[in-house]
Amino acid sequence: MNPPAILVQALEKNYGPVPALRGVDLEVAAGEAIAVLGPNGAGKSTLLNLLSGLTRPDKGTLNVGVGEPCKDRRRARARIGLIGHETFLYPTLTARENLIFAGELYGLANPKQRADELLAEQQLEHAAHRAVKGFSRGMAQRVAIARGLIHDPPILLLDEPFTGLDHSSTEMLCAKLCRIRDAGKTIVLVSHDLALAAKIANQAILLVRGQIVHRCSGQQLTQSHLEQQYRTAVEPRS
Amino acid sequence: MNGYRVLVAVLHKEMLTEWRSRDRVIAMLIFSLLVVVIYHFALPELPSSEVPSTVSGLLWSAYLFAAILGLNRSFSAELENHALTGLAMAPLDRGWIFLGKALANFILLIFIQALTATAFALGFDLDLRSLFLPLAGIFALGAVGITSVGTLFAAIAVRTRNQELLLPLLLLPLLMPILIAATTATRALLLGEPVPGTPVRMLVMADTIFLVLSFICFEYVLDD
Repeated sequence: MNPPAILVQALEKNYGPVPALRGVDLEVAAGEAIAVLGPNGAGKSTLLNLLSGLTRPDKGTLNVGVGEPCKDRRRARARIGLIGHETFLYPTLTARENLIFAGELYGLANPKQRADELLAEQQLEHAAHRAVKGFSRGMAQRVAIARGLIHDPPILLLDEPFTGLDHSSTEMLCAKLCRIRDAGKTIVLVSHDLALAAKIANQAILLVRGQIVHRCSGQQLTQSHLEQQYRTAVEPRS
Repeated sequence: MNGYRVLVAVLHKEMLTEWRSRDRVIAMLIFSLLVVVIYHFALPELPSSEVPSTVSGLLWSAYLFAAILGLNRSFSAELENHALTGLAMAPLDRGWIFLGKALANFILLIFIQALTATAFALGFDLDLRSLFLPLAGIFALGAVGITSVGTLFAAIAVRTRNQELLLPLLLLPLLMPILIAATTATRALLLGEPVPGTPVRMLVMADTIFLVLSFICFEYVLDD
């Protein structure tokens, strides 16, 4: 049996006296897409930051296939592609320059060729030599996705990637993520959008105040089921 | 992974973004030239015997505060679109990112130093042509110290609320040995004396310590 791509046990994180995560356990198999849902302040982004190794946990263990991200930092970071609602792009650089720079950071043998491949994949060849500051939100997000995929990572962490996108850009990104999932990559998707989460993920967890209050997968994972669970778990507390 | 390639990539990115925005170099240049203009009019009757001492102090004051202006902005661009997170996620020894950024800051500061020194020479009627090489050496040694530790502290300060206040507060006490040595060496050169050994050794030692420590510490600076 293959080891899980992501294994989290009894994870705890506090910001001063405020607990952000309390005893979170999580197992994600390779090639699986998991949606992390919950209201604002539930600890979703904290969980993602811990998985990416940008933040250290106070207690518990987490493993992203190569050991703890905070202990084996470089190897863990090489396996992870991080895509957020922020694009991580430099506004004065062109789309192609941004991707080439990211390729250099990841030590690619031929970053220029990889940048051109990804720009073609994102149907952005026409905008390759334009500065990112002139891009629409949807176009910038497509470049950000290309940036996250530059080193072809087996694990993709997405922090509310649909924020600010119009309907057609959202549909395009959703289709892209389904293709990435079907290609066997592991996806962790933090989102507020239950419909999109149901479409992309094959496992979902609902976080409320730093704790997992519901898990579902397979046939159970539908928009209506998620909405019902969300109402039950979140609304009495809010 | 080849650290040298990362250094070159970061340096190229820094110079390209600066070339297109010019926000750092313009602020630094305006400040430095303003210092020259103000002191040119404030000290019109300065006796020629006092020019070397006065100018060496004024030069390094201008360099220091121009450098702080530039350093404060060197990580601001990384905050836009959270590009700093993208940098922090790269699977490499982050010291190479530090070296790329520090080298870019060094090149900008050297450029400002050259223009400011020329302006001082014109304003105070100094002939620096015969001192070009030794002066350039002292300026470069001072700039290495300021930009190495300055780049590290700029990365620390950028995510704090009072960035513009915090950077000089952290930086100025640490830079005292560099400033004392650089000002002493510059004054000696302007007085026509040979390059003094002690300040130069002090500069080399401080530069080495700051560079090595900053390279090592930068790994932890980009974490939350």
